[in-house]
Amino acid sequence: MSDVGASDGVTSAASRTPVLREPAHQVSRQAVPFWTVSALLGDGVVVVAAALAYFLIPDVPGWTGLVVLALALAAAAHVALMPRIRFRVHRWEVSDTAVHTREGWIGRETRIAPLSRVQTVDSRQGALMRLFGLASITVTTASAAGPITVDCLDADVARDVVARLTEITAATEGDAT
Amino acid sequence: MIPAPGGPDEGWSRLSPRKLLLDPVKAVGQAIVPVVVALVGISQNPRFWPIILPIAIVAPLLFGILPWLTTHFRLTETQIQVRSGILNKNTSTAPLDRVRSVDLEASLLHRVLGVQKVQIGTGVDDDRITLDALAAADAQALRTTLLRRRTAPDPIADVTAGAALDEHQEPTGPAPPAPEPAPVLLARIDWSWLRFAPFSLGRLVILAGAVGVFSQFGDNLPIWNEETATSTWNWLTQFAVIAIVVVLLVVGLGVWLVVSVGGYVVQWWNFLLVREHGSLHLTSGLFTRRSITVEEAKVRGVVLTEPVLMRVVGGAELATLATGVEDGVTRVLPPCPRDVAVGVGETVVEHRGPLTDALVEHGPRARRRAWIRQVLNALDVLVVAAIAWWFLDFSWWWLVGLAAVLLVLAAAAGEASYRHLGHRLSGDHLVAGSGVLARIRTVLETDGIIGWVITQSWWQRRIGLADLTATTAAGAERVLVRDVRLDVAVALADDATPGLLGDFLAETA
Repeated sequence: MSDVGASDGVTSAASRTPVLREPAHQVSRQAVPFWTVSALLGDGVVVVAAALAYFLIPDVPGWTGLVVLALALAAAAHVALMPRIRFRVHRWEVSDTAVHTREGWIGRETRIAPLSRVQTVDSRQGALMRLFGLASITVTTASAAGPITVDCLDADVARDVVARLTEITAATEGDAT
Repeated sequence: MIPAPGGPDEGWSRLSPRKLLLDPVKAVGQAIVPVVVALVGISQNPRFWPIILPIAIVAPLLFGILPWLTTHFRLTETQIQVRSGILNKNTSTAPLDRVRSVDLEASLLHRVLGVQKVQIGTGVDDDRITLDALAAADAQALRTTLLRRRTAPDPIADVTAGAALDEHQEPTGPAPPAPEPAPVLLARIDWSWLRFAPFSLGRLVILAGAVGVFSQFGDNLPIWNEETATSTWNWLTQFAVIAIVVVLLVVGLGVWLVVSVGGYVVQWWNFLLVREHGSLHLTSGLFTRRSITVEEAKVRGVVLTEPVLMRVVGGAELATLATGVEDGVTRVLPPCPRDVAVGVGETVVEHRGPLTDALVEHGPRARRRAWIRQVLNALDVLVVAAIAWWFLDFSWWWLVGLAAVLLVLAAAAGEASYRHLGHRLSGDHLVAGSGVLARIRTVLETDGIIGWVITQSWWQRRIGLADLTATTAAGAERVLVRDVRLDVAVALADDATPGLLGDFLAETA
């Protein structure tokens, strides 16, 4: 173990360099319109509020107009780009022994938890998600740092996954700590 | 066993009769201010005395008698049960094999009366069963009984715990194979450790609070009037500033010495850490005597902390990481020499390496990130200072000086935090080094790892670093290995929990 990661730039002397491959499955295609609409709603409120403030408050200095404009542009870029990037990044996989997810759009977050340590399996479907036929699954372990969420699966897929996870975790013993 | 004076029924006992004294005194102590205020108010008007006086006497008595009359507890073969309440009958039960911790506590009042408060933790539920108070001997007996019941009667379930225990029994003596092994002493107070007290800044908060209170009065002192201040300013700048600063420093240091040493003595008086019944058992305290029990089967690791000042004098602190207790991080040692902390830590994790092995460094990119992080912090402060400088009327020399000082400090903090950074897999323990000013070494049994999180910010992705988090049910519920190379992080996770990542690895030779 001591030879791995001696320092950057130097190739590791370890005989193998394990690479974490990406999880097998993508999330539902419906996730893109869902994320677009929720981003549009969230960003829209902010931009409209800023614009209203700019036009309604008398005697605002001119440069605040540029701020509002920049805010609107950033929001537009967010709405246009975020869902597509996020769709490419978000992936999930449930093997016989573990759950593996990857998420993020600017950063990356990869989570792995063994099914033998899973305590609860929840699925959640908000009103907007229902509109797009989506559902999310959250798997929790005994650690507050360890919940794993698979966002935006097709509702049918989510149901199957929950059933399978529940079956596997019910079969394991111990108090999962 | 506990004497059961409960009469004809099935072994119910009452709390110690001395509770009849304990609660009234406590109630009076808590209500002393309103009672005195009321009495002073009343004394203006003697007509109310006949009404008030009986209440003042009877109420505390009721406070004491009612709980004592209504609280019963008993031990059955499988459970401990506590009944309390008059109108709402509460019954708490805990299966004996679920008892994780039995903590005894005695405030000064408890100790005068010779009683102890018993708190029984079952690990699963958040609320603990509290028996306040039992006679000291009964409390000890109850604790011994509960802890022994947990470990002794089921030889199959406790083979591993028993074996581990025996190993450490042997050096202490003939080690009779009796069901009750003698406690093993891990550490006791050594008053030469008092030298660490002034270097442990935990109590500084208290002192700061006291200074805050004092400064309220400081406003009333004549020297702080604005006119006197300005008129004496010239004279002050020439001579007295230095004198005042020196005096304040000396006084401050003196007060700090007294507070820190006094606090250490009060908290760690008669400190004793032993291992018995498969648990770590800590007792200490001059006035309030605490007794804390941590079940070793639930201990998943330790944290060795060396705060910056303590490191100068070679001191350290040690805490255990346990699952299923209210607060997973339990300090088991006072500030003490590093050797002692390491020794006890090694005994607790039952391995030699994790606390002493050199850590694997994370390389120049991690160092750069450590520096940048601290410099950015310094810039934040500097921006605030610059804004203050803009509005107030400082000389710009102040700003330049502050910038220079802050950047030097940031560089030092950045380099220090990089030197503390590192990781290692020592046997079956994951070791993570962290801390900016303090050097912190977290040791976690790989058995206690219940998942991994690898996060990469945009900046980290560009230079191939990642933050690796081992999630666990113990302690703070996570152990972070910061700014490690991504492939090293994956290899570390794979080695620490063999098989878990196996399905998701694509090996490239």
